[in-house]
Amino acid sequence: MRSTRHLWLGLGALLLGSFAVLLWIGGEIHRVKPPIPSAVVTTDGELVYSRAQIEKGRQVWQSIGGHQLGSIWGHGSYVAPDWTADWLHREALAWLDIDARRHTGRAYDALTEHEQASFVARLVPRIRENTYRAETDTITITPDRATAIAQVAEHYMKLFGNDPELLELRKAYAMKNDTVTDPEHRHALTAFIWWTAWAAVTQRPGKSITYTNNWPYDPLVGNAPPAHLLIWTVFSVLFLIAGIALLAWHYARHRDEARLAPPTSDPLALVRVTPSMRATAKYFWLVVALLLVQILMGAITAHYQVEGQEAYGIALAEILPYSLSRTWHTQLAVLWIATAWLGTGLYIAPAVSGHEPRYQRLGVNFLFVCLLVIVLGAFAGQWLAVMQKLGLEKNFWFGHQGWEFVDLGRFWQWFLFIGLGLWLVLVGRALMPAIRKGGESRSIVTLLFLSTVCIGLFYGAGLAWSEHTHLSMVEYWRWWVVHLWVEGFFEVFATAVIAFLFTRLGLLRTTTATIAVLFATIVFLAGGVLGTLHHLYFSGTPTAVIALGASFSALEVVPLALVGFEAYQTFKLGQATPWMQRYRWPILFFTAVAFWNLVGAGLFGFLINPPLPLYYMQGLNLTPLHGHTALFGVYGLLGIGLMLFCLRGLKPNQQWNERVLSTSFWAFNIGLAGMALMTLLPMGVIQLSAAIEHGYWYARSAELMQQPIIQLLVWLRVPGDTIFSVGALALAWFVFRLWVRPSRKPLPITEGAEAQP
Amino acid sequence: MIQFYPQVKLVHVVAVLLSGGLFFLRGLVLHLGGQWAMAAPLRYLSYTIDTVLLTAALMLATMIRQYPFVHGWLTMKVVLLVAYIVLGTYALKRGRTRRTRVICWLAALAVYAFIISVARAHHPAGVFA
Repeated sequence: MRSTRHLWLGLGALLLGSFAVLLWIGGEIHRVKPPIPSAVVTTDGELVYSRAQIEKGRQVWQSIGGHQLGSIWGHGSYVAPDWTADWLHREALAWLDIDARRHTGRAYDALTEHEQASFVARLVPRIRENTYRAETDTITITPDRATAIAQVAEHYMKLFGNDPELLELRKAYAMKNDTVTDPEHRHALTAFIWWTAWAAVTQRPGKSITYTNNWPYDPLVGNAPPAHLLIWTVFSVLFLIAGIALLAWHYARHRDEARLAPPTSDPLALVRVTPSMRATAKYFWLVVALLLVQILMGAITAHYQVEGQEAYGIALAEILPYSLSRTWHTQLAVLWIATAWLGTGLYIAPAVSGHEPRYQRLGVNFLFVCLLVIVLGAFAGQWLAVMQKLGLEKNFWFGHQGWEFVDLGRFWQWFLFIGLGLWLVLVGRALMPAIRKGGESRSIVTLLFLSTVCIGLFYGAGLAWSEHTHLSMVEYWRWWVVHLWVEGFFEVFATAVIAFLFTRLGLLRTTTATIAVLFATIVFLAGGVLGTLHHLYFSGTPTAVIALGASFSALEVVPLALVGFEAYQTFKLGQATPWMQRYRWPILFFTAVAFWNLVGAGLFGFLINPPLPLYYMQGLNLTPLHGHTALFGVYGLLGIGLMLFCLRGLKPNQQWNERVLSTSFWAFNIGLAGMALMTLLPMGVIQLSAAIEHGYWYARSAELMQQPIIQLLVWLRVPGDTIFSVGALALAWFVFRLWVRPSRKPLPITEGAEAQP
Repeated sequence: MIQFYPQVKLVHVVAVLLSGGLFFLRGLVLHLGGQWAMAAPLRYLSYTIDTVLLTAALMLATMIRQYPFVHGWLTMKVVLLVAYIVLGTYALKRGRTRRTRVICWLAALAVYAFIISVARAHHPAGVFA
């Protein structure tokens, strides 16, 4: 108990310190964020853009899907370009052309390499100069630059409209015709994109780095990685090695702890399934349905990379454009995983305490209906927004916020937040008797409950911004939700829930498990909380973000590097007694969670985490490589494992179709590996090479992405994706058959409750 | 992508021949009493060939911009493919009697041959066009 108390105190101090620093950094980001001027004027006094246009432009960008169609400052999707980098490069070329024609009478393209270099040398200081004046709140630019901006704006007006001249480019970017129907909105959109490019190329007052730490890499405008990116990258690797060494030492010291003799029968076979527990079955049906739709949306999204506006002869972009299919694909990933966890929490709580609170079943059913309403309502709003039928006034509340993973309209965000609150109440009131009872399991039950509280409450950070909050601050709060969920509290929940289940099965001593989980929580959160900052290196943030982000996100990888211990232990526990065969499949899914935690989160995560690599890699296909293998590989498989665990309890005496589950398990894992290794990794490496050689804009350009080798790699997704889909269909068939014409074969004596003495 | 058309078509044709050849061989062995026709390595080989076949088919459809349910001959191919899969399942696995399995096997081979004729003719009636 003494060591538990110390660990609790350590965890408390860690969280206090980490969040204090995170909040302080938030203040710093707010203080040094790139200014949005009240006006952009030429030295002749002509108005180029106003703040109202820039802000309205951002609303327009959000309404068409925001991050789900191309990216801004490297955050977003990967088929359309990074608009910041694209605009910046086009503006520089346009300005160079104007300059070249004036001084030589020839186009910039027609000049010799030597002549071009002299014009670039003239351009760099002029385009990087910070002409924002706080006293007048204006940015002043030369008429030449205004002309260059007008030329790029005209290109964007055509691109986001319906100009036939740019039809092929729209297809290459997977954009529907008339992405923005209103010409005034299109013009406002150009104001916003220009502003993001201005922040990316304009030096901070008194410094030689831009507001985005010189991101994106583009030698044409003098954007190159500053020295501190390399320095903090090197230090982050050192921290990683030191962290691994310390943790390995810890494991070596504690490896010989005595094992618990497993009980002769399954303790959970005696658990009484209460009405509210039985009511959670529908959550798992919903999980399967959402997973299947998510895969369908993923297939459509991937196909748009081949036929930008169609799918096998159907003009799909007219009814389900890329930004929408991708929105739903990413949203459904979070939603079905969350539903699996919500169902698990609601199932486990009464099982742990043996207490069925009054109206618990009603609450479970009501929450389910709320979830359905949220999914359908939010998706309908997003469709109306992307199809430009909702209007900007209603978009923020009911349409598409455009922030990846938190795309829901604000109304639906609040609804979901309240729903998560209701879930906490339902889980909490059922668990409370077990916590009140005290005893040695109190700590681990409390920890499990606290991780669910954090998952629920931290979604609240998604409510911290408003319609006009500065882009840098929205990114700051958005990553509070996304990062602190997946790399903080989800990890804690995953560790706690698996250890907790093993204690309930009598395979782990509660005190040992509690200490291990508390220790793991401290290790995860030591890197996890401040690791949030690695998403914010280039989002208009100060250098401290890079220093802290690099150092702490390297520590995030430390526990993942040694996750093999956990995988081995999980696997061994699965074979501890004959009756553990009942839990063979949940255990195998948990083992796969550990594997993907190492590969997807650890290896592919660290590939893109340190500042210098990320400077070139942000928004390339190496990001979805990490995204798919970590989000599905870890949390998706965990969700499925938990679901199977609960289904075992819901259908205690039923013979499971082992063959179907085996197909599902292997197809999921092989399919995921296939899509990662045959498409995302090689494509990302080609893009990386292009970014280093030519500039980031080129790595995201249609010029590169339409090359035959890239298209071939896109097609190579089909085998992996097909195998993966077989896994999902097999799982769906398994769940379906548990209720519809289930197997009547008797359970083998070692597997069922009949084995009870 | 059209640059890769000859290569992708070659992959598709080779996969078609391998898939059909393997099905023929497995059916023959099974009906002669050899149990190894259903051995796991052969089944996984069959899945692999069929996945390659499907990928190449989707690529070809996109390259030539002709699609099932839009162009008759491709629609016919998909419909026949479903029939081929169902018959194949009964031929190798689901058929309860030896007679059913043999009939399904022969019918599946006939459908397979007709699919090839539809593909060669680019016409839904295939060899009868």
